[in-house]
Amino acid sequence: MNIDQQAEALISCWSCKGPCPQASAFCHTCGAVQPPGQADHFTRLGLDVSFEIDPGVLDSFYFNLQRGLHPDRFATRTPKEKVLSQAQATAINDAYETLKEPLKRADYLVHLKGMGVFPEGCNLVNDQTLLMESIELREALAEAETRHDVEVIAARAADDIATCIRQLSELFAADDIEGACRLTTRLKYLQKLAEEARAQKAKMN
Amino acid sequence: MAYSDKLLDHYENPRNVGAMDKDDNNVGTGLVGAPACGDVMKLQIMVSEDGIIEDAKFKTFGCGSAIASSSLVTEWVKGKTVDEAAMIKNTEIAQELALPPVKIHCSVLAEDAIKAAVSDYKAKKAEKTEAAE
Repeated sequence: MNIDQQAEALISCWSCKGPCPQASAFCHTCGAVQPPGQADHFTRLGLDVSFEIDPGVLDSFYFNLQRGLHPDRFATRTPKEKVLSQAQATAINDAYETLKEPLKRADYLVHLKGMGVFPEGCNLVNDQTLLMESIELREALAEAETRHDVEVIAARAADDIATCIRQLSELFAADDIEGACRLTTRLKYLQKLAEEARAQKAKMN
Repeated sequence: MAYSDKLLDHYENPRNVGAMDKDDNNVGTGLVGAPACGDVMKLQIMVSEDGIIEDAKFKTFGCGSAIASSSLVTEWVKGKTVDEAAMIKNTEIAQELALPPVKIHCSVLAEDAIKAAVSDYKAKKAEKTEAAE
């Protein structure tokens, strides 16, 4: 089953036995909360499977779902519904945490499309250009003596991160998963650099 | 979870930190990275004419275990032939430093780094021999 088919697949509601989209948190017929099932994170939150997400839409879909699953609403329901609502809430949190952040979203989407960015063992970066860029930037940061030096590197990292995210959008739109995979690794290294720059600046205060 | 004294010692007093001229024909450079943690490790060896590693340097940007693993490897490879150095196993590094299971990948990175440095050196040698012929 491909991703789109999965989103449309119907299951039978455990409560009313009526048809219910597999990815839906609630039965469309009787409104009963459903088990989380196998839906991908995008479908679970009601979004298209795409790297390009409107953060406002993501937030509003997420908060809507969580409101519907709030424990207060289930206080007087059956134990089964309580358990299901908690499982749904967890699955939805997980989906939201993954999609809200571009690096995690890119990593997840690459996986969803069948490739591994950070495989087990995680020592598989062999992109010498990327590694050379990373070590040079980290060296420059280690040698930075003044706050200003660190700020210059941090500003460059922020620019590069923005460019990288833009390029990731284009590559995903063109379905170039291999290219997206490479850029996701680059984004990981850039974010690490930005993080280290922040830590260094904090130490200089 | 406490780290071993050996690990802490290599982390606090890393041996052989530095860089060599990567364009020197007797220098082999290995540059590897662990994408999951955003670590990057550079390990270089200086090889004598008879294939013995005379000196080794490293620079690692990463966690303490990655720094200690690469520091240990630079100590180990000195005096070894390049082929002996390429046979160092991550399990030996992990054992020596008593790395916790979640940090085993740091020793894998160090193993990859020395292997990459040796193959870089060998590639340069092969190129030189070819050019001489």
